Order: sequence, then structure tokens, then C-alpha cells
Amino acid sequence: MPAVRGDGMRGLAVFISDIRNCKSKEAEIKRINKELANIRSKFKGDKTLDGYQKKKYVCKLLFIFLLGHDIDFGHMEAVNLLSSNKYSEKQIGYLFISVLVNTNSELIKLIIQSIKNDLASRNPIHVNLALQCIANIGSREMAEAFGTDIPKLLVSGDTMDVVKQSAALCLLRLFRTSQEIIPGGEWTSRIIHLLNDQHMGVVTAATSLIDALVKKNPDEYKGCVSLAVSRLSRIVTASYTDLQDYTYYFVPAPWLSVKLLRLLQNYTPPAEDPGVRGRLNECLETILNKAQEPPKSKKVQHSNAKNAVLFEAISLIIHNDSEANLLVRACNQLGQFLSNRETNLRYLALESMCHLATSEFSHEAVKKHQEVVILSMKMEKDVSVRQQAVDLLYAMCDKSNAEEIVQEMLNYLETADYSIREEMVLKVAILAEKYATDYTWYVDVILNLIRIAGDYVSEEVWYRVIQIVINRDEVQGYAAKTVFEALQAPACHENMVKVGGYILGEFGNLIAGDQRSSPSVQFQLLHSKYHLCSPMTRALLLSTYVKFINLFPEIRTQIQDVFKQDSNLRSADAELQQRASEYLQLSIIASSDVLATVLEEMPAFPERESSILNVLKKKKPGRVPENDVKENKSPTPMATVHHNNELYTSATGQADLLGLSTPPTSQPHSSSNTGVLLDVLGDIYSKPCNNVSAQNSSIADFKKFVCKNNGVLFENDLIQIGVKSEFRQNLGRLGLFYGNKTSTALQNFVPSLVWAEEQATKLSVQMKTVEPVLEAGAQIQQMINAECVDDYTDTPSISVSFIYNGVPQKISIKLPLTLNKFFEPTEMNGESFFARWKNLGNTNQQRSQKIFKASTPMDLQAARTKMIGFGMQLLDGIDPNPDNFVCAGIIHMRSQQVGCLLRLEPNKDAQMYRLTVRSSKESVSVEICELLADQF
Amino acid sequence: MIKAILVFNNHGKPRLSKFYQYFPEDMQQQIIKETFQLVSKRDDNVCNFLEGGSLIGGSDYKLIYRHYATLYFVFCVDSSESELGILDLIQVFVETLDKCFENVCELDLIFHVDKVHFILNELVMGGMVLETNMNEILTRIEDQNKLEKQEAGISAAPARAVSAVKNMNIPQQIKDIKLPDLPQAIKDLKF
Repeated sequence: MPAVRGDGMRGLAVFISDIRNCKSKEAEIKRINKELANIRSKFKGDKTLDGYQKKKYVCKLLFIFLLGHDIDFGHMEAVNLLSSNKYSEKQIGYLFISVLVNTNSELIKLIIQSIKNDLASRNPIHVNLALQCIANIGSREMAEAFGTDIPKLLVSGDTMDVVKQSAALCLLRLFRTSQEIIPGGEWTSRIIHLLNDQHMGVVTAATSLIDALVKKNPDEYKGCVSLAVSRLSRIVTASYTDLQDYTYYFVPAPWLSVKLLRLLQNYTPPAEDPGVRGRLNECLETILNKAQEPPKSKKVQHSNAKNAVLFEAISLIIHNDSEANLLVRACNQLGQFLSNRETNLRYLALESMCHLATSEFSHEAVKKHQEVVILSMKMEKDVSVRQQAVDLLYAMCDKSNAEEIVQEMLNYLETADYSIREEMVLKVAILAEKYATDYTWYVDVILNLIRIAGDYVSEEVWYRVIQIVINRDEVQGYAAKTVFEALQAPACHENMVKVGGYILGEFGNLIAGDQRSSPSVQFQLLHSKYHLCSPMTRALLLSTYVKFINLFPEIRTQIQDVFKQDSNLRSADAELQQRASEYLQLSIIASSDVLATVLEEMPAFPERESSILNVLKKKKPGRVPENDVKENKSPTPMATVHHNNELYTSATGQADLLGLSTPPTSQPHSSSNTGVLLDVLGDIYSKPCNNVSAQNSSIADFKKFVCKNNGVLFENDLIQIGVKSEFRQNLGRLGLFYGNKTSTALQNFVPSLVWAEEQATKLSVQMKTVEPVLEAGAQIQQMINAECVDDYTDTPSISVSFIYNGVPQKISIKLPLTLNKFFEPTEMNGESFFARWKNLGNTNQQRSQKIFKASTPMDLQAARTKMIGFGMQLLDGIDPNPDNFVCAGIIHMRSQQVGCLLRLEPNKDAQMYRLTVRSSKESVSVEICELLADQF
Repeated sequence: MIKAILVFNNHGKPRLSKFYQYFPEDMQQQIIKETFQLVSKRDDNVCNFLEGGSLIGGSDYKLIYRHYATLYFVFCVDSSESELGILDLIQVFVETLDKCFENVCELDLIFHVDKVHFILNELVMGGMVLETNMNEILTRIEDQNKLEKQEAGISAAPARAVSAVKNMNIPQQIKDIKLPDLPQAIKDLKF
């Protein structure tokens, strides 16, 4: 059918040949400019051009445009061609417009008029030209102009198939521009029923349209599911001769099958209609079965088309995620593809497996292929495929294989393509953090990352390792030792210097006992890198040095000498100059107490979400493979939660530390703090609570009682519960007053204590019994005695149950028996306070710190009242900053007394507080910090 | 959705560009350049899909391409398209061109940009697959040609000029080295 080549245009051919023969870019531009001038003058000239000439010039302009030159005229001529009687001229006019006219053109009105005429033509070829043009430009004006015509064209019985097909896609294009264009009501069902159309081309186009409509309004178009399934079923079971022209290389209607399978991925598996569901599963099984049949043709097109359908079927199986049998079959099928000789199939199999790995049914099945995937990552010739293998390893990683996968990824990183290194670094960092059971392993992995691929380690990665080391006491010594060793390498990456500098500045004291890493050795080691580093790193190192002055007073002069060097004190870099001079002055002027305060260890980081994952997501939005199948199912044991409150943040957050299951924006701290409290309560008081609102209000009320002893503990329409309490040494006495607010008696009135046995050994509580009937309007009193034996967390509560008007009621209330009640205030002067403060700060186990946002506007007077009520002695005039609160107290327990110091620093500008508690017992610091942090 | 269809030769000279999403002209040229750089440096036996390309659609964006002798056919698509489906669509496009032009070669694309566009318009519309049945497409093209012929009358003379020019040029012929199974084996033209 060589019809197309029939009628060229001589002028055009000559021009193109000229261009092709141009020896240089300059010559080409010259020739083009000459031609543009020629065409322009022809267009502007007096002589009217005939259709053939216009067509020729428009073709020339198109060619020039394709070569990348701007065309700023000819539009009007093209618009004129639209209204030509000759098809060939009209056609070329439309072509020019669809290539060169954008949505904002002023000509759009004229164009719309011409389109209107053609749309009404009886010749389907003309109608299609018009539809193509609308679909090409697809502007808002067009949506307005044709919003009613095109839907009619689409569903009308008289419309020819070829037009219907175009109308469907044209409507889709306009729908993308303005969503309101689709009429609702009866149209919905008419559009859906296009899936039953005789003409496969119409069905294909309609499926695309419906897919988009479903995405906007899934419920309205729900009816398409059963139609799509039947259609698919008919295709899948058809023999390849049935569909004749729509069979492509022995595969019946592959494109339509793919589209239908995609469409079905917008819905959950059809549950309400078991028939539809069964038929769909049959289809999917048939497709999987066909994959095992010998190919009907050796041509690559045959296997392509067949596998296009197969992969889409697998996607649907993964999406439905409900048929374990199908999932496993899909996984096996993909496993076969992993060693197929077609690169395309290996690529797609890895990609699909990535999704399979996130299903709980198939996660284990995917893991069976780990060896092959690792091989793909290492051996595959094509970087795209290697990249997919890395993604899959990331997705299939869980606790059981994390060490191996991370190690393999680290090994591969040394030779990995530059283009994927940065992403791999992020992935390794995320996996190491997520699955670290032993944080020394985590530190090793990250330091290895820096060693192997330092250039690709972004700031977020090394920030993160520092955050984690600071928040986890148990790893600090190891981290200090490891960075110290890493820094001894003759050439180490600047990022290593940064991490090393920061960690030694904080925790260098932990390894200073060893002669090989004595303070001055540490300092010299770091300083030997100083001159090779960028100003930013140098600035960081200067901070490390000044921290050393605090940690190791014995090397103070050595460090001061460095500050004094001209290259620092008079550095051209303003930041360095400022740091050097300020640190120098600080080290000269400040007393050791002040130094200790200013340069104390960094507070723990309150943040919960790893910033690394965000970077990864930002790098590849929508394409980061999930890695959270198993994680949701293994909540962190509560034991760790109470270990340390900082640890708490990261431990409960383990699942959402990486932001996988939390909303992407981190919550403001105030709310996350109350959230923490709620969580803790919810978890400890696992007793079912019928009255959620009462529970919540009692929590809010309870918080007040941390800082006061008397008041109304609970009140609702039925009952009021008041409390009075007094404490002496390690003993406490509470009086609870129950008042019946109703006019009927409360029957079966039983308050009972809720206090775990294990806890009861630390705080023993005795409660006197009360009468089981609380008369109308009466009040009864109940006495409770408590003795603090050892330090404990949280506080006991009572559960009050009674029957009112035949309806059982239950109220849970926390008792104001928190650890701080056993404080004895201690007076001391500034000197002894800071001496103890420093003393207690020496080991990390004795401190606890929280930084949080003020939940209410800062009111220092109110804060003062709370601090006094908290039970410690408020020490005025000790802190250089009058806004800061400094307190001291002793907690009395039967077995021991624990001295406790506290400092609360409000930052009015940031509306943040920093609370630091130091005591001779870690668990006490943590609990006191926890209790008080909620108060502001 | 298909965002763009690009055809360029081994030297990166564009032979066809069709964008289904609006981009300013200079951006279009940059996209063509970037795509050429990404695609041309790949070996012939690697896979036909690649991610990347910073200019269209960010990460939800893939290039699916085939390399036929002197020409690259690249479809830039988002993740709603099936990779293998698009790969076959490229094949259908090329087979259709081959039928229409009788052993299509790069020169046909150069001298008949308009025709190539018309064929493409029957295949893809507004970035979505319109028709995949090659016989149907050929019939439609045939119908258009008939219509044109009726109008053209005797003005077919310039056609001969084209073949004359064509013969002056260095042979540039598409040989399907990757897919030796185009429907008709491509005969060598004599020059």
C-alpha cells in the first residue's frame, strides 16, 4: 500500500535537501532564515496563494520548527486552511495548529469556530480531524465549547465506531483540563456500557476514559467492575482466531486486556458479588496458566504481548492482595523471569516483585529469590536492571535478612554506578537504622558507608547517625571508639571528619581513659585533618575543640593556641573568625561551672521521623519501594519504652521513625507529648474502658495533680470525686471523697485499685473499703495509704464501678501518687548546686533531658507556681539567666534516698522549653523529666 | 499516559516530535536533547526501559524506546502505561509506517513529516492509545488518501521530484537490526 508516498512537493523537497547538505550549523541557520524570509514575504504579499502553496509553506515551517527554530508567524494562514474545502489543505492546517498552537493562543476562538463546523460534518474523517485537534489543544475554552457535543457524540447510536473511539479519548483529554465536563446521572451508565461495545477499538478507548473517571469518582462508576470482568473473561478465553484483527501475534487483544486489568486495579476485589470475584480469579488463573504454555510464535512480539498481559495480571493480583494462592503463583512466575534471557523481562520481574514483597502473603516467597536478586545487583549488565535489583532488595529486607542484605549492598557500593550510589547510600542508611537490634552494628554500617562512598553520603545521613548516637546511651562509647579508629586512616573522607569531630566532642571522654586515645591524642588526630577540610567542617571542629576544653581541662592551652592562630582568629571566613574568637574568650573568661553549663552535652533530639527517608522520597516521589510489611506486626516491647524517655521517642517510633506509617509532617511537639502520655496510659491500662471521654478528661485533669495535692479529681453528671493528700518522707495519705450528685442511690458502689503487682512492690498502696451504697446527695470518704519503696513510673489508678438506675457505670481515674510526691525540697547555694550538677552530669546514665514546645503561651509566673507545687525546692538567684528555673530535692524511698537536680530553661522566642534532670539514679531522672515535661 | 513521542536519528537529529502535554518550544528541544543523551549511550542489548529524564513529569516517568538502524523511537510515558504494551505499540507504529511507505527509511520521515503525523494521529490521541489494529489504521489512512487523491487530480507530478532528490542522497535506510522480524524483510534499494 504505497499510497502515502505519492505526492511530494518539489519546493519542500529541495529546501530539505538544501538543509541536509549544509556543512555547518551557521550555514543551516542562514538557509533557514532565508527561507523564513521568503515564506513571510509570500504570506504578506499581494498575490493570493493557492491551497497547494499554502500547504507547501506550512510544511516547510513544520520542518524548521522540528529542527528547533522558533516559528512566530504562519498561524493565521494555518487557521485559514482549516476552513478550506479541500481535505488535504484542512488536514495540513490542523497539523500546523496541533504542533504549533498552544492553549493560550489568541487564535483559539477562530479555531473553535472551524472545529465546530467540522464536528458537524457528515464525513467521519473531518469529524476526526476536529476531535484530534481538540484533544491536542485541550484548553479550557475548548472544554466549554464542546462540553456538550462530545459526550453526545460518544454515546449516540448513529455515531460511527471510528468517531466514537476518538470521541472517548477526546472527552478524556477535556476531562483532564476541566473535571466538571463529564455529565453525571444517566450518562454514567451509558459510558460504562461502552465496555460492551462490539468494536474493540471503541472498548479500548472507552476503558481509558472510564479509568480516569473512576479515579475521580470510584463509587459512581462501580458498575464498570462486573462489565470489565466479563469483557476480560471473554478475551482471555477466546482463541486467537476469534478476535481476528485485534489478535496481535497470537495474543487476543493484548492492549485492551492490559487496560481492563489496570481499570480493575482501582477497586478492591469485588467482595459483594462472589460470582464476579470468582470469574476474575478464573481469568487471572487462566493468564497464569497460559504463561506456562509453549509459545505460539518465536517472535519477540508474541512474548511481549503475552507478557504485557501477564505482568498486568500480576499487578492486579498484588493489588487485590487477597488470594494467597495467586500471590504465590505470581511470585513463582516472576522468579522464573528473573533468570530469563530477555533483559526486559528481568527488569519487569524485579519491578513487580518489589510490590509483591510488601504483601504479607508473598513476602516470604519473595525472600526465596534473595540470592538471585543479589546476583542481579552484582552481575547485571544494564544499570536500569541493577537499579531495580537494589530497589527489590530494599523492599524485601526485614529483620531476618537485614544484616546480609545491608552487607551485600555495602559490598556492591564500592563498584556501583555513580548514578545510583547516592540512592543506595540512603537505602542502606534507612535499612540499617530500621533493623538495627544492636546499635553498634548500625554505627559500623554508617561509618562503612562514609568510608566507601563518602561523596554520596548526604548531610541527612551523617546528621542521623549523630542523632541516634546522642539519643542512645549504650552506643556512645562504642561510637567514640569506632570513629577514633576510623580517623586514624591516612586518608579519610571529610564526612568522616565531621562525624568523628562531633562524636568525640560529645563523647570523647568515654574513651579518654585509654592511653592510646587520651585527650591530647584525640585532639591531635582531629587537628591533623583540620587543614584539609572545608570551612564548614572546620567550624564544626572548632566547636569540638571548645567542647574538649570542658571535657579535658588539661589540654586547654593546646586548644587555645589553635584558636589564636591567625588562620582562625583572622580567618577570611567570617564564621571561623567568629567562632575562634568567641570560643577563645569563653575559654579564658568563663569559670569551669559556666563552661560546664554552656558546653554541656547536646540534648537528645526530640524528632521522631528520619529525615533520610524524606530525602529518598523527594528523590523519587511515588517510586520509593515500601519496606514495611513485617514492621507493623512487631511492636516494640514496652520494656524499652520505659528505659529512658529519649529512647522512648525513638523506640515507640520504630515503626514510624522512618515516617512510613505516620503522617508525613511531624507533629508539633506539644501535641506529640500529650500523645505520648496517652499512648503510655493506653498501653499500661489495657483494661477496656467504656467511657473514652471520661478517660481523656481524667488524663487532662490528672496532669494538674502532678503539681498539686488537693482538688476535684473527677466530675460528671452523676458523681464528683475529690482528693486531699499529704506526704511525709516516703509515706503518703490520700483521702478520696465520693459525692453522689443524683437523686437516686448508686448501688454496688465499688472503687478498686488498679496497680500492677510488679509496680506494687515499688509503691505499696492500701485502700480501705467503703459502703456499697452511695445514697442520693451523700458523700463518703475513703482513705488510701501509700509507701514508696523504690522508684517507680507512672501512678496507680482506681476504677470506680457502680449501678445508676440499673445501668452499670465505670470510671477510671489516676491517683495523684506520682513519684515527685515523695520529694523533700532541698535548699542549697549556687556553688554546691553547680558542683553537684557537674558531678551528676559526668555519666550519661544519670541525666535525662527533654526539649518541647510550650503547649500554652509561656507564662513564667504560672510556671513558677507549678514548679513549687512539683515538690522540689526552687532555687532563686543561682542561674545566670533569671528566667531559668533551678530546683533541688530528695526523693525518699524506703530503701534509699535519691538526690535530684533540675533545670528548666524557657526560650521565649522559640516558645520552647528545655528540661534537664540529673539525679543519682537514671530511672528517677527519666520519670521526673517525663512527669514535668507535660506540665508546660 | 504518553507524554511525548520522539523520533531522532543516531546523531540526535529530531525526525518527529509530538508532545501530548504542553511544553514551551525551547523546553521541547531540551527534552529531545536530554532524551537523546540518555538513550544513545545505552548498549543495544540492554533493556528497553529506563527511568530518568528530569524534564518531564519527574520520577513518575519512563522512557520506552526501540532502536531501529538509524532511528530511535522513544515514547515518554508515566507509570499508568504498561511497559511491554508501549513497546509493542512502537512496533505497531513502525510496522504501519513500513506498510505505508513500503520499507520505510529515515528519509521518508524527513520528507513526509505530515504523513507521519497523520499516521501517528490514528494510533495515539491525547496521549492515549487510540487504535492498535494495524489493518484498521491502514484502512483509515487509505480513506484519507483517497479523499486527497480525488481533490488532487493531476497534481501528482512533484512526487517524482522527491524520488529524484532521494536518489541524490546517501543511503539511509532503516534496517531492523534489533528486530529482524519486521513483517516484510526490508529489501536493499539500489543506488
